[in-house]
Amino acid sequence: MGKIVGIPKALLYYNFYPMWKTFFEELGAEVITSSNTCKKIVDDGVKSCVDETCLPVKTFVGHVIDLKEKGVDYIFIPRVVSIEKRRYLCSKFLGLPDLVKNLVTDLPEIIDMKIDYYRGDDTMKKEILKVGKIFVNNSKKIYDAYLKSIEMQKKFESIMRKGLSNTEAIKAIEENSVDVKLNGNLKIALLAHSYDIMDDYICMGIIDRLRNMGANVFTTCMLDRDKIELGASKLQKDLFWTYGRDILGAGKYFIENRDIDGVISVSAFGCGPDSLTDDLLERDYKRDGKIPYMSLTIDEHTGEAGITTRLEAFIDLLRWRKGEITI
Amino acid sequence: MKITYPHMGSLNMILKTMFEGINIEVVEPPPVTSKTLSIGVKYSPEFACLPYKINLGNFIEALEKGADTIIMLGGVGPCRFGYYGQVQKETLIDLGYDFKMIILDPPHGRLIDFLKDLSGYFPGVYWKDALKTFIFAVQKMIAADNLEKHLLILRAHEDKIGVTTKIYEKYVEGLKYAKNKKELDYIYREGVEKIKQNANVKRDIQLKVALVGEIYLMLEPFSNMDICKSLNELGIEVTKTDYLSDYLINSAFKLPQKLEFKRYAHGYLERDIGGHGLNTVANTVKYAEKNYDGIIQIFPFTCTPEIVAESIIAKISGDKNIPVMSLSYDEKTGEAGYQTRLEAFKDLLERQKINALK
Ligand code: SF4
Repeated sequence: MGKIVGIPKALLYYNFYPMWKTFFEELGAEVITSSNTCKKIVDDGVKSCVDETCLPVKTFVGHVIDLKEKGVDYIFIPRVVSIEKRRYLCSKFLGLPDLVKNLVTDLPEIIDMKIDYYRGDDTMKKEILKVGKIFVNNSKKIYDAYLKSIEMQKKFESIMRKGLSNTEAIKAIEENSVDVKLNGNLKIALLAHSYDIMDDYICMGIIDRLRNMGANVFTTCMLDRDKIELGASKLQKDLFWTYGRDILGAGKYFIENRDIDGVISVSAFGCGPDSLTDDLLERDYKRDGKIPYMSLTIDEHTGEAGITTRLEAFIDLLRWRKGEITI
Repeated sequence: MKITYPHMGSLNMILKTMFEGINIEVVEPPPVTSKTLSIGVKYSPEFACLPYKINLGNFIEALEKGADTIIMLGGVGPCRFGYYGQVQKETLIDLGYDFKMIILDPPHGRLIDFLKDLSGYFPGVYWKDALKTFIFAVQKMIAADNLEKHLLILRAHEDKIGVTTKIYEKYVEGLKYAKNKKELDYIYREGVEKIKQNANVKRDIQLKVALVGEIYLMLEPFSNMDICKSLNELGIEVTKTDYLSDYLINSAFKLPQKLEFKRYAHGYLERDIGGHGLNTVANTVKYAEKNYDGIIQIFPFTCTPEIVAESIIAKISGDKNIPVMSLSYDEKTGEAGYQTRLEAFKDLLERQKINALK
């Protein structure tokens, strides 16, 4: 029996799970994830973290504790510094393994692989070998596993581009089938970090809620890269956070292209990067004045009622603008 | 051209000296007051951090005073400071101001390249001249920072509360207007002397605290409600772990300060995470090992690198048996609550010290 690697179902899980899973499985390990976010997980995270930590990170810590309780051999907590040249992620990702190790006691062994493409991918090779060696002593096999995992990532991303959310795409890969109804007549861009909108507990299933109200939802992961790049090229100064730049890029693209009825941005309470990008986007949409824009903030106290009311009001506004309803 | 810039500790002194040295008119932003802050808050995103809001307030007040060009630092992440300027610029445009904004990315390597960059914005000024005034400006800053270092120790021993602060303020003002190096040295020495004369209180139990945290909060007393003064007046000697002059000297001579930080932080935080997160962790270890009695971390509410650091230094506190207190500030921070927390912290340190002596 292979060793069990636990992957917390939070933060970048939503962007890279199929890839990470493939890598470890190719090396002969067994991969499990933590349970779906629930009250206990959030509470555990909140209790372990200092107050001001953002909700996504608190939740992540809760998932780590869940894995610890499940008795896995390893927990995968990568230090994701950068996933493309010259751009970073938010500071928290850079210190995530340190953060967790200092907050949670008696952890199983942490695999804190450093993922850093900031200067090109030479440093990655060393990291991959270092991590692979935990499982097999065979560089070729490790490298092959890495290549397979990259292929999987490409597949995963292409499924999302068909209009599936991250979670649906993961399901599609694991179960080879999913049925998603994509027949709304409103087009809404949902601009946010994946972990803010994909966790059904944290964001109360916002995507399905919107779909049930008759909207087709577009997230940054569903959009073609070149659309995002086109939008981002309108920035006066390139933004140095990958996901923040995706959000701004998509937002700017829709202003020019107008192929959307409304834009909703979601961010975690107190999120540093989002506080700036959100402000820039909102300014742009106000100046343009053609497409309605709404921003939602979530934290551990966000209530379902509040979210529903605001979404319904927004949808009504869009329908009214289309002349579908009169008030 | 009427140039302005944000306040940040002794930055005003150096920029004013430098620009006036190359004959560029400067509109000093009015001193930071609660009015500055409330203007900034009014036009800033809710979750932008305190320095952002104060900066914006500085800009608006200076533009109202007639400035037409703003100089602001930029950055390349991962801390959001690097994008402040962009958002502030759009805000000021929406508010209807007519101005030019120069956003300078911080020196990656050599200061000289930075100055050349800068002089590119001011045709007709030779960077060699700029360099000369710049050096004098830096000398002023070093003098001012050193005077403050003395202040933060000696004010804890002042004979009459409040007098030292007045002396200090008078001499800093003197440094600001010094015409040449000789005058500068003279004022500096006299300032130190005057502060010493008023510092004769000795205590059996003398507490020493190191201040760590985010650099703006550390440098700009308004933003931290003058925590150093409050601590000094409680009889505590304070060491601020960051000064603008240290930062400049380190980057000018490319000192491997980062390596030193990495060594201290090892085992707790293994890499730079942007902002001053690594410095905060490293300095906590460093001053714990220097047998300080306590550490206080100060940072703006929602500052991501500092929140990571806060989580980590709590662990260091236990490991190294040194009390650590973290204080985050935003516009809603009330003075009364903070004073109570400082006093409680002092009591804790005193008790700990007495127990250790037993
Ligand atoms: S990007 Fe924002 S929400 Fe995400 S981890 Fe960073 S601070 Fe938290």
